[in-house]
Amino acid sequence: MKDQIVKYAGKLLVDRSALPGNVAFAAHDDTLLSDGNPRLGRLCERILSSLSCLGLVAARPSLPFADYLVRRAKAGETRIVPQDTETRTFLHDIPFLRREELGEDASGRISSLLGNRKGMIAEGVGIVAGGTVTIEQAYINYSSVFHAVFVKYLLDLLADGFRLPGEREAFESFRREWLKPLSAEGLAFRSGPLEEPEEIFKEVAAVGRYPVERGLVDSFFGNISCRAGGVIYISQTAASLDELPGRIDPVRTDNSSTTGITASSELLAHRRIYEESGARTILHGHPKFAVVMSMLCEEKGCPVKDCWRDCDKVRLLGDTPVVAGEIGAGGLAKRVPPVIASPRKAVVYGHGVFTVGRTDFAEAFQAMVDVENWCRQEYFRRLSAKIAG
Amino acid sequence: MEKHPLTGWHGTLLHVDLSAGKSRAEILHRDLLLSYLGGRGLGVRLCREEHTLDPFHPDMPLIFAVGPLCGTPSPTAARLSAVSRSPLTGTIYDCSAGGRFAHRLKAAGFDALRIVGRSSRPVAIAVTPGGAEILPADALWGKAVGETVRMLESRGSVAAIGPAGENGVLFASILMGEGNAIGRGGLGAVMGGKNLKAIVVNGDRTTGIADRSRFDRARNDVMRLFRASPILFGELGIGEYGTPALVDLMRQRRMAPTENFRKTVFEASGNYSGPAIRKAYGAKKDGCYGCPIQCKKSGRDGMHLPEYETVSHFGALNGIDDLHAIVRSNRLCNELGMDTISAAATLAAWGEGRGRFPGAEEVETLLADIGFRRGDGDLLAQGSRRVTEALGIPALSMTVKSLELPAYDPRGAYGMALAYCTSNRGGCHLRAYPISHEILRKPVATDRFSFSGKARIIKIAEDSNAAVDSLVACKFSFFGATLEEYAELLAAVTGERYGPQSLKEIGERIYLTERYYNCANGFDAKDDRLPGRFFAEPGSGGEGIEVPPIDEKRFEEELQKYYRIRGLTPQGTFPDPDYLSRLP
Repeated sequence: MKDQIVKYAGKLLVDRSALPGNVAFAAHDDTLLSDGNPRLGRLCERILSSLSCLGLVAARPSLPFADYLVRRAKAGETRIVPQDTETRTFLHDIPFLRREELGEDASGRISSLLGNRKGMIAEGVGIVAGGTVTIEQAYINYSSVFHAVFVKYLLDLLADGFRLPGEREAFESFRREWLKPLSAEGLAFRSGPLEEPEEIFKEVAAVGRYPVERGLVDSFFGNISCRAGGVIYISQTAASLDELPGRIDPVRTDNSSTTGITASSELLAHRRIYEESGARTILHGHPKFAVVMSMLCEEKGCPVKDCWRDCDKVRLLGDTPVVAGEIGAGGLAKRVPPVIASPRKAVVYGHGVFTVGRTDFAEAFQAMVDVENWCRQEYFRRLSAKIAG
Repeated sequence: MEKHPLTGWHGTLLHVDLSAGKSRAEILHRDLLLSYLGGRGLGVRLCREEHTLDPFHPDMPLIFAVGPLCGTPSPTAARLSAVSRSPLTGTIYDCSAGGRFAHRLKAAGFDALRIVGRSSRPVAIAVTPGGAEILPADALWGKAVGETVRMLESRGSVAAIGPAGENGVLFASILMGEGNAIGRGGLGAVMGGKNLKAIVVNGDRTTGIADRSRFDRARNDVMRLFRASPILFGELGIGEYGTPALVDLMRQRRMAPTENFRKTVFEASGNYSGPAIRKAYGAKKDGCYGCPIQCKKSGRDGMHLPEYETVSHFGALNGIDDLHAIVRSNRLCNELGMDTISAAATLAAWGEGRGRFPGAEEVETLLADIGFRRGDGDLLAQGSRRVTEALGIPALSMTVKSLELPAYDPRGAYGMALAYCTSNRGGCHLRAYPISHEILRKPVATDRFSFSGKARIIKIAEDSNAAVDSLVACKFSFFGATLEEYAELLAAVTGERYGPQSLKEIGERIYLTERYYNCANGFDAKDDRLPGRFFAEPGSGGEGIEVPPIDEKRFEEELQKYYRIRGLTPQGTFPDPDYLSRLP
């Protein structure tokens, strides 16, 4: 269990979602153990001792957005409700405790909230998330909360601007220091078309790491595939993009075998994208600024309420089409393929980016970088206009 | 006695005494329902006074219990649990089944039907909102399930036994009119022992929902997760191909039990894979009443097609590669009213013992002989453990607590190995269902060849699934949704405070009650054992996957860890003999 804690504590630092020195995990096997920041570790142990759960993480996020969302929430509110796909599908909402509610020992109240939800925010402490089955699951739930908080905070800023003392300065620091330039420079890609299974397995595993290493996406959220000879080689469901060796399913396009039942939930979307576009590779991830920008709609008087599911329009972010559609069998597989063939990129409302390569992954990766860079620039342009206005 | 207002439950049990030929409605206490929910939990609790009786004792109850979600549009919740003591395993035993029967039992206005006693002649019970009517069934006795159902279905939904239940086959099942089975553990023999051929239920009562808008939100959340699950709604998932979608996967993972678990790969398994069945029979979607997944499949003529466990055990486990023969065996078991897993596994153990597995034709003859207890069938009707003990070859029985193991070789999934042993009803895959994370990667993947953390994971899953079996919901739902969404459905239906943590605590209460009953009947650590083959012989390695024997020392360590986590003694028993008396 300790090796798992070390691994996932390390991942929180590598993906820069938690502050170094402010991370602790606890695990409950036949005994209770914790590792990391001693204060947070003790808190984790107290929380975990009253939950039917194997693992728990408590960490102070590297960005103050979670605390800001709590402080910006109206009096009496007890949870935030981000509208991104991750939250709508898996988290539902994120409960929080304000600083004054925590008291001397907040473990009981945090346990109570985590008895109903996968993750929560304790103001001044951080994000606390549980993993029923594994330590990895606690890490994933932390990442989901971090992602959802990031998206909601940036959307709220565009709507309402800065409202708290020090908020603007902290945001400037985020923009200046936390955000890194995104590029594909220096990455190695095998030239396509890729045909041999062993070559494809290696390339899919290698390219899966790139978006994570470059800070484009968090590791758990996304999938990747390559088509060759009547087979789609696709990452498995619940597989981290940066840990794909042994987790790639070869799926025959004639459906003569069901071995690929463990393939990504987006298998159907990949298959249809290949059929519509003739592409050889597909990359899908959840770059944060693209998710944020996809959720901005300026149409007035539209009767559609559940935009992420029901909007049938094709909007544009620069030259990238944006469509609605839920994951899996929920509609995304119908709406993305018709719009992706020509621009070789598409954004799904509140969800993420699909890009394709005509021969190999170089083109798909560059397209994802370009989409996120465009969305990042456009976001800051709009925020500046908002603040100036 | 005053009845407390409840939403989601009717708060009423129908008690039928077949010895006296009488029935009466009884109030179910509010606290009992809140603490045990329904289905498995309620049924197990209602056996508290009789749990040490012999399974065939007239006073041993046979209980059919629905849950608070039944009768609402909660996905996969038109289900019930049948509960009694198993004549095959000697353990307390519950078995979950979906279909209109559960829906109509709830619509008759009852949360549970408890049957005790033994009729002096064959009878059927007709349940309506007015109560129970005991009908003579001499004309039905000896008939196959299909014909029995046809003769009664004008009165409502039918649950019936076949000749196997009448003749005391220890793995006799109870079949529902729509093809759903209370399959495992021999509860059909318990029903037959009461001279009860069938039950038919009908009614028009509705189940209330305390907060409709909250319910609709929760239901949408569940459906969104179903659509996001490749296992459920994926193009290669069980919604498309039924559970035989697992055939190819188990072959690829090299953990398909073959030739009585001597091997773990059957090269001809592609003959009965999901795509092969679809091609041969034009398999179309079918399934439990009100279920959006529709994982059952039927052929062009409406014939129910076999599940994964059935094709694999009548296939690989007996070395048979003929799909049509497998389908016929399935149909025969359903008509005779027998559990396909135990039937096929008993034949495989017997076949290995005599040095020759039965061929496709012989299997059909033997199944009929088992159902009517004639020739070799009389011995085979007692299940694998008793058969191999009688023949002096007990090591060939691939059972835990006398329940024949299903089609997941424990050498290919160590959590499964542990869970077979800790299951309160014997070698069952569904109690903790670790295949979900060890093979299907839900909710996240775990290392199938490692015991690390598995004791805790199994404990949590057993508790969760005990709650799921008490709602009652289908475990397949949890390839997509979680207890979070189902707790929300429950809270919306009942208006009571429930969350995933409180559901797990209810599940723990149910699990420990079952374990306590078993301990009272002499079960302890000596029964939490896998057959020795799995510690001594490797599976069929290859294609980069090794399938070594399970490390017995490491297995024992994890089992002891499990006992500590459960608060049990090293012998797997209760340190506090009064534990049960403190439960509601």
